[in-house]
Order: sequence, then structure tokens, then C-alpha cells
Amino acid sequence: MEPVPRLLCQHLTRRLPSGGELITVLDRVDLRIERGEFVAILGPSGSGKSTLLGLLAGLDRPSEGSVALDGVRLETLGEDELALLRREKLGFVFQSFQLLGNLTARENVLLPLELAGRRHAGARADELLERVGLEKRGHHYPSQLSGGEQQRVALARAFGPRPSLLLADEPTGNLDSATGRRALDLLVELRAAEGATLVLVTHDGQVAERAERRVHLEAGRIVRDERSAPAGRPA
Amino acid sequence: MRPGLLLAIARRDSRGHHGRLLFFTACLAVGVAAVTGVGSLVAALRDGMTSHSRELLAADVVVRASRPLPPELDAFVAARPELAVTDVRELATMVSRWEPERSLAAAGATAAPASRLVELKVVDGVFPFYGTLRLDPPRTLASLLDAEHAVVGPELLEALDLAPGDPLSIGGARFEIAGVVLEEPGRLGFSLTLGPRVFLSAQGLERTSLQGVGNRVRYQALFALPGLPDREALHDFGRELFESLPDSSYLRLETHEEAQPTLRRALGRVEDYLGLVALLSLLLGGTGVAQIVRAWIAERTAAIAVLRCLGVRPREVLLLYLVQVALLALVGSAVGAAAGAALPHLLLPLAPELLPAELLQGVPLLPILRGLGLGLGVAVVFSLPALTAVWRVPPVRVLRADAAPLATPRLLRTATVVALAGGVFGAAWLQGDDLLRASVFAGGLCLVGGLLALAARLLMAAVGRLPRERLAPTLKHGLAALARPGAGTVGAIVALGLGVLVVLAMLLVEGRMDDELRGAMPENAPSVFMVDIQPDQWEGVQAALAEVRAQHVDSVPVVMARLAAVDGRSVSELIAEGRGDEGDEGDEAGAERAEGREPDGDRGDRDDRGDRDGRDGRDGRDRGRGRWVYTREQRLTWLQELPQDNRILAGALWSEPDVAEVSLEEDFAEDLGVGVGSRLTFDVLGRPVELLVTSLRSVEWGSFSINFFVVVEPGVLEQAPHFRIASAQVPPEVESALQDRLAAAYPNVTLLRVRAILEKVATLLGSLGFGVRLLGAFTALAGVVILAGAVASTSLRRAREVALLKTLGVTRSGVVLLFSTEYALSGLTAGLVGGVGGFALAWLFLEQVLELGAELPLLALPSAALCAAALATVAGIAASTRALSVRPIESLRG
Repeated sequence: MEPVPRLLCQHLTRRLPSGGELITVLDRVDLRIERGEFVAILGPSGSGKSTLLGLLAGLDRPSEGSVALDGVRLETLGEDELALLRREKLGFVFQSFQLLGNLTARENVLLPLELAGRRHAGARADELLERVGLEKRGHHYPSQLSGGEQQRVALARAFGPRPSLLLADEPTGNLDSATGRRALDLLVELRAAEGATLVLVTHDGQVAERAERRVHLEAGRIVRDERSAPAGRPA
Repeated sequence: MRPGLLLAIARRDSRGHHGRLLFFTACLAVGVAAVTGVGSLVAALRDGMTSHSRELLAADVVVRASRPLPPELDAFVAARPELAVTDVRELATMVSRWEPERSLAAAGATAAPASRLVELKVVDGVFPFYGTLRLDPPRTLASLLDAEHAVVGPELLEALDLAPGDPLSIGGARFEIAGVVLEEPGRLGFSLTLGPRVFLSAQGLERTSLQGVGNRVRYQALFALPGLPDREALHDFGRELFESLPDSSYLRLETHEEAQPTLRRALGRVEDYLGLVALLSLLLGGTGVAQIVRAWIAERTAAIAVLRCLGVRPREVLLLYLVQVALLALVGSAVGAAAGAALPHLLLPLAPELLPAELLQGVPLLPILRGLGLGLGVAVVFSLPALTAVWRVPPVRVLRADAAPLATPRLLRTATVVALAGGVFGAAWLQGDDLLRASVFAGGLCLVGGLLALAARLLMAAVGRLPRERLAPTLKHGLAALARPGAGTVGAIVALGLGVLVVLAMLLVEGRMDDELRGAMPENAPSVFMVDIQPDQWEGVQAALAEVRAQHVDSVPVVMARLAAVDGRSVSELIAEGRGDEGDEGDEAGAERAEGREPDGDRGDRDDRGDRDGRDGRDGRDRGRGRWVYTREQRLTWLQELPQDNRILAGALWSEPDVAEVSLEEDFAEDLGVGVGSRLTFDVLGRPVELLVTSLRSVEWGSFSINFFVVVEPGVLEQAPHFRIASAQVPPEVESALQDRLAAAYPNVTLLRVRAILEKVATLLGSLGFGVRLLGAFTALAGVVILAGAVASTSLRRAREVALLKTLGVTRSGVVLLFSTEYALSGLTAGLVGGVGGFALAWLFLEQVLELGAELPLLALPSAALCAAALATVAGIAASTRALSVRPIESLRG
């Protein structure tokens, strides 16, 4: 019997209002992502990749079609149930880091752990901060950290509760190339260590090459879906 | 989510933004201070009255009557040697300097007044049983008083330019001033008294010609019981006493716990009405809180989206912010409650004649708790609608900043609105203590608030349509900002407008009432009343009046009587049947008279009607009312024609030639339960007189003429012992001379000067008005704080605006001018809208409720508007200081 895919999108369509009209941002997208896969969703700006990510995470509801996470169709769930689902299974990394400014770095990492009710949350948070090299900066607020450091905190936060699915939206978009490369390395490393399914949205071909599968999105449709050996770290 | 986690996240979330804390606190603190202040003052006074109740009464129990107490009382007392009893008689009378050689003609020649209306107290026994009677020299009253001596209050010495040892004329007899009374228990500084106190002994009174004036003397017996008996024991005593007397229907019993009923009633009213006005400032503070919360949530939208993304449920987010709101509310309420509790003690030095320092007892806890509770409650219910905005934050906002907001569940929206309405009503009920009053208050507030919001929006829309091109840039900018206001601006304008409305309405009403009280009297209104004119004195009095060129002299005869039977059934029968209640709750009219309110007999029955109408039906006083109507001293007169302000409603005047007829005032007849055709039997000094009711009248009590409940047909009572009441219009400059003259020639005649009495009432109202105006100021202050808060909550936007303007080359003072224009225009809008509202409210109140002509000063409207504009500008600039000092580079940072 076929294992239940991590994600299954069927005829996924999303229309959004823009300037008084409704534009079809995603057009009948069919996508299947297995457990443990590392998929990059590639496309120019306006191709609908962030929208797709939002639907995969249950942050948004499709206009038509469905998204099933571990066999559960998200559109059947209410806001409360979606929230609980996100607590248990999802991790996020954003282009603009999206750390909570009123919390210290450690508290930011701690939050999803506490929400998910994980035991020994403090120890786990410290462990992750060490993994991203910020064990000495845990008491600093995001405003006191550089962009690269903030993204590393975000990575620690995302991986803390050992999510089954990790979603990353242009994680290196706000970083300079060197910092971005380091952040990406960390992301790949952590994924390999924790074994999460990773869906990464980017417009940057070099970033996409780190994934073993690349889905190309254009004008709301999948135009190419290729697998290849992931490129290693550039020398 | 575990509560512990919720609190932890709430705590962390609240870091920073201390400016928010300041405004939140201020909004609530002002209102809570007002509410707690009123509550604390009333509670402290009540506590004081309770703990000093024996001193206030000077006894454990007092029995009062308008005629001499029955002789059986002596037997009752004699049989109980453990009781201590003192007989007291009180009446108001004229007192003058003793100058026997002075003739009537020369009486008006001296410049200084020679006579004064005083409150005479004749004491036969130990006085007081409790409390301090402070005399100078410091001896007992009994040792200073004898047949030849009197003890007087210092105001009398001042008024007549006398010193201890000087002679005095009271009731035609000579007395020497033996001492001065500096402090008397039960005679509080702010009571409405007719004149200074004068103490006489019983032997002294016998020497005067005042004995024949039995009708206006108030008789009391003060009792001191052994030990300190509790309430039940006191009432048992009262019952025992009344049972031992053959006829106790005209007696009233007052225990020390029920002392000062007028004051207690006044306190109750103050608490209810002022409590509601104070609540107004708290509710305004609530709208400020709602604004702050709304802006706060809007500011935290991005963070809320992250929380939602991480898996926090909408209701958990609401709880998160609700917890923070509640904690802030506690802080604000605590500050306000502390300030409010201190307020009575702080006000004491400012209004010593209004607040008796000796009565303010401690710091009562209940008003503080109530203030805290109300503050917390108001903050929470006002925040709820704003907090529901967290439902609208779409989690997808973490990816897409322009994501459309989600819908709030309808049930939730309805629930929060219901909670808000319920909260406002509940608070009004708690403060006003009356369901109807609470409903009117809450409903009226919503209506006025709604109208203000509508008017503000219309005005702003109209302003938006004004052609702006040719105006100066600052004015243009200000008008533009007004035309498209930020989210909180309309609310702030409504709040400030409401404050202006309340303050202006109060000032206008107060001003008009003051004018009315102090101003010119109606054309034919009398300026003096004279009472207790004996028939043989009337000619002389008329001559004295003619000499001072008095006008509109009116006089009627008065016969004192008691109602003996109605339609053949005796009054005691009717009372026992339950038409009136046998009990010792204290008759208000009697108690009021005993406390020194205007004596009956002057101006006919006017005051009694006032007594009656002043009563609340709330505590079952209808029963007491019924009894009072039967047992009170009736004043009968006879007239051929009715005065102008009487109108026959039923029957016909003097229509039955063979029967002795009587005409009754309509409400009086209703209270007695009689109508045309009923037979009333009066006991006129022992002789029964039966009268047939042949007409009912309505009386215009608002006029100043002498009017009566009971008018008898001429030819029935002329032979009965009677006295005359007269009224006249006398030029103000000769009032004093007339008084002196009458006092010298006819010491038993009492002259009442209307102007002086109205002055006293005006002064008392002025003191009360001070309290009301203070609360009005709280309301306005709340409005100002809200405006400042609304401005501060947009500080982020303003900072960017400032940075942009500075980048474009506008100087700092230019920016200040720009903002000032905006704030000034907002304030002007609030002032205009609120001012018109205030005018409307004042006009309505004056015309419909008080039935006074509402000649309102139109200049008040622009003044109010300008004041509001000034306040708003100052508050707004003060709140924008941080935004104003932003550097232009910030605009580039985005």
C-alpha cells in the first residue's frame, strides 16, 4: 500500500482580488510531496509560490480544490483546528524573519515548544541555539541582532518542536549572499539531522539547486517538476 | 493553553510601550477618582453621622410634637427614675437691642440694625445628654441661664453689635447676655437655619409675651436611657411610652439612629445623582480605553499574525490581550481609587462650611472597592469590542501583508456589544441605585453619544467639501486632516464634545438658577412676610407698613385647629385602621420643622406642601404621609373670594346657604380621601366645628401669595381665637428699619425677609454647585485625556509624517503649527458640537423641568468652542512631543 503522502494538492486554485478584479493566482495545481522530501518551489515574482506555501500550511483557504496534510483535508478544519495542527506539525521560516520583537531570542525559540507542550522545552531551546551558534545571544532582543542572526534564531524556532513539515518562504531573501549561504547551509543541515519534510519557496535558482526536487511555477501553474541530485556547497 | 503560559506570553508581550500604560492609566484614573470621591465622601459622612448619632441628637430618644406634650408623660417619667428627661421648646422669633427709651418714630433713625430673627431654644433640664455644648465662659448651660439671662450665638453679637453683659429684648422682656454658645451638638455648620441660636430658661420664657404663640412652638422631650441601649431596646422604649399615653397620634419618636433625616435623605440623593455624574467621566474614560486598545491591536497586527501562524488560537490571542488590559486597568483603577479616597480630606480646607470636619469619619473601604470594581469592569467591557479585532487578523498575513481580514464570528460581535451595553447599564444601576434612573442615564448617554458622533461626522464631511485651494497651507492641512480623520479621531471628538456638553450644561443651568434666586422678584411678589400678628396689633402693623410705603399689602386671618373626624369617623379610628401607620419611623414634616426649617404659619400652607412633595414614596412613606395628613396642625382661614392663583375644579364656592362650608385644595383632599360632599369635623381649641366640603381647588403654589389647603366660608370662625399673617412689598432699603420697628413695638410678630432667605438658599446651592462643577470638570478632563490618548496612539504614523515633512523642508515650528491647526480644528469641532448639545440640554432642563425661562448667554457657545480648541491643542501637542522630534532620516528607513 502506498504510504500517505505528506502533502497532496488536488486542483488547488486560489483567486485573489487585485485592483477591483479577481485574478487567478494558482490555477488547478496538482502536487504530491512525500515524507522526508526536500522540495524547492521555483518561480518568478508573481508566479504564486508564496500563495501556494500559504495554502500548504493551512494559513490560507483555497478558492477551489484541496490540500491534504498527512491525509487530512485542511479545508474541512476550522481556524481553531488549523491552529492546533500548525502547533503540532509545522515549522516556518520567513523572508523577514518574523520574530516577536518583545521576546528575547531564547524566548522566541521557546514559544513554539511551549505551545506544543513539549517537555524540557528550555533544554531543547538551548540545544538549538547552540546548534545555530547563538548560545551566547539568547538574552538579546531581535532588534539587537543582525539579519543573519535573526534568521538563525528563526531557524532554531522552526526546528524546535521537531515539526513534520517545514515551510520556508524566501529564507535568504533579506540577507546578503554570504550570510544567506550560511543560513541555507544551516537549514539543510538541520533538516537532515531532524528528518523533516522541507518545502522551500524561492526565485533564486542557486538556492533551489540545494533541493533534490524542483517544482517550477509560472503564472499559477506547474510547468516543470524535476528531480536531480542536490548541488553541494559551492567551493 | 495553560494559564501559566498565557500569563508568561502576556507578560513578555507587554514589554515596551510605556506611553500606552500612561494614557490607559490616566483615562481610567480620572473616572475612578470621581466615582470613588463621591462614594467616599458620602460614606465618610454617613459613618460619621452613625458614630456621632447620639451627639447629633444630644439624646438617645426624642419625642416631638407641635403642641404641648401630654401631662401623662410626666407620670411615665416619674415612674422610671433611671430615665433622664429634658424638656425643650424651639421657636423662631425676633430679638432686638434693649433700648426702652426709644420711641416708635425714632426706631428707623439708627443706621445699624437693632433686631434679628433668631432660633430660640428653651431648655428645662440637662442639655445636652451627649455631645459637647461649648460655651464661653466654659460653664454649664444651667449655671448660666436663669430667668434674667440668655446665652446667644456669636453671629447675634456681631449682627446687633453687642457684647456679653449687654441687654437684649426677647418677646418684650429684658435679658442679659450671660455667655456665648460656640458649639452645639446637632447644629451643623451647613444646616439651613433662620438665624443665630439663643438659649433661654423656662422661667425666662415665662417673662416674655411669646407664651401665647403656641402654634409655632416645637415641643420636644429628650430622653437619656441607662447604658447604651441598642436599636430594639430603643424602639421597645418608644412603644412602651406611646402605649402609656391616651393620645399619641400627634407625637413623633426619633431615636438617635434616625437622627438628621433630612441630611440622610440629602446624602442619599447626592450619592445617587452625583454618583451618576461621576460615572459619566468613568464611562468616557472607558471610550478612551477602547480607543487605546483598538490602536494597540492595530499596531500589533503583524505580531498577532505570527502568533496565529505558530498555532495560537484566536480566543487565546484575545485572552492574551484581555489579561494585559485587566492588569493595566487594575493599576489605573488603583491610582484613581487612592486619589478619590483622599479627595474629601483634600477638599476640606477648600469648603469648610460645606463639609463638617467633625463628621468625616476615616477612610471607608466599600467605596474604594466599588471604584476599583467599576474601573476594572468598565475597562474590560469597553475593551471587548476592540479586542475582537484579533479575529480579523489572517494568519496568511505573515506571507502577504495585504491579505484580506477574516470575519469575526457574529455571535462574538453580538456578545461583546451586549456585554458593553449591559456593563454600562449595570454600572449606572450600581451608582444610581434605581432601575429607572439607570435606564434613563444609560439610554440618554447612548442617544447623546450617537447624536454627537453623527453631528461630528456631518461637520467633518461638510468641512471636507469646503474649497481649500486658496487657504494658507497650515489651515489647508488641518482641514484636510479633519475631513479624513484617523481611526480614533471621531471617538476622541465625541468624548471631548461630551465633556464640553456636560460642563456647559451645568454652568448654564447653575447660572440661570443663581440669577433667578438672586435676581428681581416677580412684579407683585411680596418681599416680607409677617406672622403671628395678634388681632389688636393689626392696625399698628398696618400703620408701620404705610409709613415705609409698603405696597401690595395682603393679610389673612389664621385659626389653628386639628382634624377630629372625617364623615363621622374619628381620626384615631382612621389611623388605627391602617390609613396611617402606627410606628416610630419619624414623621418627616415634624422632623423637618424640628430641625429649623421655616416655621409653619407663614405663607400659609406653602411649606407643608413642599414638605409633602419632597418626600419619596420609596420607603413606604406613603403610609406616614397618610398619617401626617390627619394629625398635623391645620391652619384654617376664611375668605369671601379666592386669591387669583386658585381655580375651582369641582363644586362651587359658598353655594349652600344653610351649611358651614369649606373649600379644599385638590391634593390635600385626595390625601384625606375626601371629595365634594364629605363632612369634616375640626377641633378648634376644644370646640368641634363641622364643615361640608363644597368645592375643590387647584392652587398655583409657585406664586408668592399666601395660600391654604383649607379655606372656610366667612361667618363660621370669626369668633375663634386667631392671628393674622400678612405679606407686603417693601423697598429693600427700608426692610431693616421696618423689622426694627416691629420688633420694638410688637416683639411677638416675626418678620421674614424673602430676599435674605433666598440669599441663603442661593449660597447653599452655590456650595452644592461647587461639587457638581467639580465633577463636571472631571468629565471634561476625561475628554481631554482621551483626545491626547487618541493623538498618542497615532504617534507612529505621525512620526513618519513628521519625518516626511521635515525631509520636504518644513521646519520644526512649521510642523508644530501644522499639527496645532489639526488639533485645534478637532477641538473646535468638539466644542461646537458639544456646546450646541450643552445649550440644548440646558434649555430643555430649564424650560421643561424647572419651568424657568431659559435666557441663555449666546456668547457661551463660541467661548466653549474656543476653550475646547485650546485644550485640544495643548493636549495634542503634549502628546506628540516624541513624534515631533523625529529626524528626517526616519522617513527613509520606512
